[in-house]
Amino acid sequence: MTDAAPLLEASGVVKRFGGFTALDGVDLTVRRGEIVGLIGPNGSGKTTLINVISGLLPADAGTIRLAGVSLAGLAPHRRCAAGVNRTFQVPKPFASLSVRENLEVAALDGVDIDAVLASVELDAHARRRVGDLNSVSQKLLDLARALVTRPSLLLVDELACGLNPVELDRVAGRLRALAAEGIGLVVVEHLMSFIDSITDRVVVMNAGREIFGGRLRDAVRDAAVVEVFLGAPEPAAA
Amino acid sequence: MRERPIRRGFVREAGLAIAPLLALLAVLPLLYNNQLLLLNAVVFLVLAQGLNLTYGFSGYLPFGYVGFFGAGAYGFALATLHAAAPPLAAVLAGGLAAGLAGLLLAPLLRLQGAYFGLASLAAAEALRHTIANPDLEALTGGPYGVRLDVPYAPRLTYGLALAILGLTMGVVAFLRHSRFGLRLRAARDNPISAATAGIDVVRGRLTVWLVSATAAGLIGAVFAWSAPTFFPDAVFDISFSIFAIVFTLFGGAGTLLGPVIGVAVLYGTYTAIGVSAPQYFQLVYGLLIMALVMFFPDGLAGIRMPWRRRDD
Amino acid sequence: MLTYALLTGLIFGLYFGLVGLGMNLVFGVMRIVNLAHGDVLMLGAFTAFWLMRVAAVSPVLTVIGSFVLFFAIGIPVYYALVPRLQRSREPEMLSLILFFGLSQVIEAVMSMLFGNNERSIPSRILGGGPVPVLGQTIPFAWLCAAAVSVGLFCATYLYLYHTRLGRQTRAIMAQREEAVTIGVDVNRVSAVAFGLGTGLAAVAGVFAPFMLGSFTPSIGVPIDLVSFAIVVIGSLGNPLGTILGGAIYGVCLMLMRTYLSSFADLLPNLVLILVLLVRPTGLLGRRVRHA
Repeated sequence: MTDAAPLLEASGVVKRFGGFTALDGVDLTVRRGEIVGLIGPNGSGKTTLINVISGLLPADAGTIRLAGVSLAGLAPHRRCAAGVNRTFQVPKPFASLSVRENLEVAALDGVDIDAVLASVELDAHARRRVGDLNSVSQKLLDLARALVTRPSLLLVDELACGLNPVELDRVAGRLRALAAEGIGLVVVEHLMSFIDSITDRVVVMNAGREIFGGRLRDAVRDAAVVEVFLGAPEPAAA
Repeated sequence: MRERPIRRGFVREAGLAIAPLLALLAVLPLLYNNQLLLLNAVVFLVLAQGLNLTYGFSGYLPFGYVGFFGAGAYGFALATLHAAAPPLAAVLAGGLAAGLAGLLLAPLLRLQGAYFGLASLAAAEALRHTIANPDLEALTGGPYGVRLDVPYAPRLTYGLALAILGLTMGVVAFLRHSRFGLRLRAARDNPISAATAGIDVVRGRLTVWLVSATAAGLIGAVFAWSAPTFFPDAVFDISFSIFAIVFTLFGGAGTLLGPVIGVAVLYGTYTAIGVSAPQYFQLVYGLLIMALVMFFPDGLAGIRMPWRRRDD
Repeated sequence: MLTYALLTGLIFGLYFGLVGLGMNLVFGVMRIVNLAHGDVLMLGAFTAFWLMRVAAVSPVLTVIGSFVLFFAIGIPVYYALVPRLQRSREPEMLSLILFFGLSQVIEAVMSMLFGNNERSIPSRILGGGPVPVLGQTIPFAWLCAAAVSVGLFCATYLYLYHTRLGRQTRAIMAQREEAVTIGVDVNRVSAVAFGLGTGLAAVAGVFAPFMLGSFTPSIGVPIDLVSFAIVVIGSLGNPLGTILGGAIYGVCLMLMRTYLSSFADLLPNLVLILVLLVRPTGLLGRRVRHA
C-alpha cells in the first residue's frame, strides 16, 4: 500500500445485465477523509456501482483499486477484510440475531461493540431481536455493522431516506466524524440538502455514465444535469 | 475466522444435556433387552442431529441426506470386502466415503431452497442406482446386496454409535455457542449482507455440510457392521431422510435437544404402532408433517411457553 | 433401433411434458413445489382403472371426467394449504415438506384401501392396435397419450394468452407484487392455477398405466423426481417450456434404455443435478459463487 495512491480508484467500470448496460465505463476516485456524493435518477447505476465495488456483482470491465491494490476477483468477504464496507438501501440485518449479535458476527478483534452501538444510539436495544426494530433503527444497525469491520472505504446507499430532521442531523454529523477519522465515504442519496450538508464533491450519474463531477452548487447549474433531472425534479433540491 | 474462547454455554450444554443423555443411553441396554431397537434409536439420533447441523445452522434441507448414510454403509462394506479392513478401520472408511460424497456434492450448495432439497435427493438416488447397478455386481453386489463377514459385537457397535452421537451433538452445541456458529446463523439469515460483513459464507456452509455428511457416513458404517447383510434399497431408503427431517422439525431445528425429543417421541410411537402397520404410520406421519409446517414451523421449541424466557 | 429410440423418445417426451406441466404451472404461479403432484397422478391412474376397466366408461369421458374431478378437488386443497403457507417464513422450502406430507397421506390412504398390488389396464381398452409410424410399430395408447399431451399444451397456451384469467396468471408469474397492485386477485387466480395443475396431473395419470406398464400407490415420489427434472430442464416457472423438457428427457431416456439400459434409472437424477448446476436458478446461485 502506498499512501500516495487515492483510497478508491475505479476506472472504466462496465456492468451489463444481458443487453442492458448498467455501468458504461464509470470512473470514481475517493481520497481518504473525503465524502463523495453519488446522485442521479433512479436506474442511473448508483447502486450497481456500489454492488460492483463491494464485490456483490462482478464487473465486466474496468479496474477497481483500494489504496493502490486491485480488488479484482475478490469475494465480498475478502473486500470487507481489505477495508471496503457498505450499507444497503433496504437494510439487510440478520433477523434472527439480537442487535448486539449482529455486530458481534462482523466485528474485528478489539472493536468496542458497545461504543459503536452507542454511537448510533442503539445501545438501549442491544439485546432485542432485530426483527423487532423499526426500519430507521435497522438502517442505523446496517451502518454500525459496517463500522465494526473498521472500513477504510464506506459505501452508504440511501441512508437518509425515512429519517426525521433530527435523525438526519445526527447521521450527517456521524458521517462527517468518520471522514474526519480518515475514512473515505461514497454516499448515494436523493435528499439534496443532506448531500449538501456533508459532501465536498458530487458525481452525477445518468444511464450508467458520469455526466458531472464537482461541487453540488455547480451541478444544479449544469445544463446536462438539469436536463436529466427535469422529468423528476427533486423537491428537496430547491 | 478467529475463534473466541468457547463460551460457558457450550460447557453447560455438554455437561447438562449431552453427558446425561449418553449416560442414559449407555445404561439402557441393561434395562431393556431389545438391543437392535436401541441401536436404531441411536442411529436416528445421529441422523437427526446431523441433519440439524445443515438445516438448523445453514438452512439447507437435504432430502437426500440418506445418501451419506448409504455411502457410509457401502464404504464399510467395500472396505471389508475388497480391502479386508478390520471393522474399526472400515467404519472410518465409511465416514470418509460419505465425506468424499459430500465434497463431490458441494456444488449443490450453490442451489437454494427447494432446488437444493430435490437435487440432493436426486444425488442420493443416483448413488443408489449406481451401487444397485447389476453391471457392477462384482464390485458392489449390485441389487443383490452385500453379505459381510464381520464379527458380531453388539456392545462395541452400540458404544461406537454413542461415541458418534456424542461427537455430533458436541458439534451442535459448539455451533450454538461459538462465533463460527453465530456467523453461520447470520449467513443463513442473509447471505448477502453476511458476505459484506466479512463472513466467508461458502466456507462456513461447506464445513458444516462435510461434518454433517461424515456423521451420517460413520453411523451408516456402524449400521452396516451391526446388520452385515443388506441391500441398496435398505440403506438408501428415503425414509431415513424423511425421519431425520421430521424428528428435527418436530423438536425444533437449531436446538440441541429438539431432535432428541423428536426421536424419543416419534420413534417411540413408531415402534409402538408402526412396525405392524406401516401404512397407518405413514398416514400419521404425513398428517404430522403437514401440521408441523402449517402450525408449528419452528417445532416444539418454537412454541412460546408462558414461563419461558425469550433468549436468543 | 435408433429410429425407434428417437421416435418413441419423442412420443414419451410429449407425454412427460404433460407429466411436468401441472407442477410447473403451480411453481410458476405460487413459487411452491407440489410434491403431491406424483400422487395426484397416481390417483388419476386409479380413476382410469375404475372408470375404464371396471365401469367400462369410454376413454374420452374418462379423460374429461378425471380432469374436471381433480380440478374441483384442487381448489379447496389450495385454499386449505397454500395461503397459510405463503405467509410463512420460507414458503418455497416449507412447501416441499408440506406437500411431501400430503403425498405421504395420499399414498398411505390408497395403500390401506387398495393394497400395494401392481395394477394395469390392457391397452386395447383405448381401441386400436399397434400403428405403423415411419416404419416402426407404436402402440396406439402411446399415440393417444402424446396427442392428448399436445392438445393440453395447446389448451394451456390458449388459456394463458387468450383469456382474462390466463393473462392475470401470467402477470402473477412475471411480477407477483406488481400484479397485486394492478388489482389482480392473486388468491383466485392461484386457486384456478392450482386446480388446473391438479387436473393436468390427473389426466397424465390416466395414461400412466399405458406408458409405465403398471402402477401402485407408491409411484408418487419417483414421478415427482422425474417431473421436477423435466420441469427444470424446460425452465422452471415457464409452463409451456415443459414440453421441451419432456421431449429432451424422453429422447434421452429411450436412447439410454436402448444402448445403456442398466444406467437408465440414473438418468432423471443426473439430468436434474446437471441442469441445476449448469443453469443454477435463484439469486444466490449467481451471486455467491462456489469456489
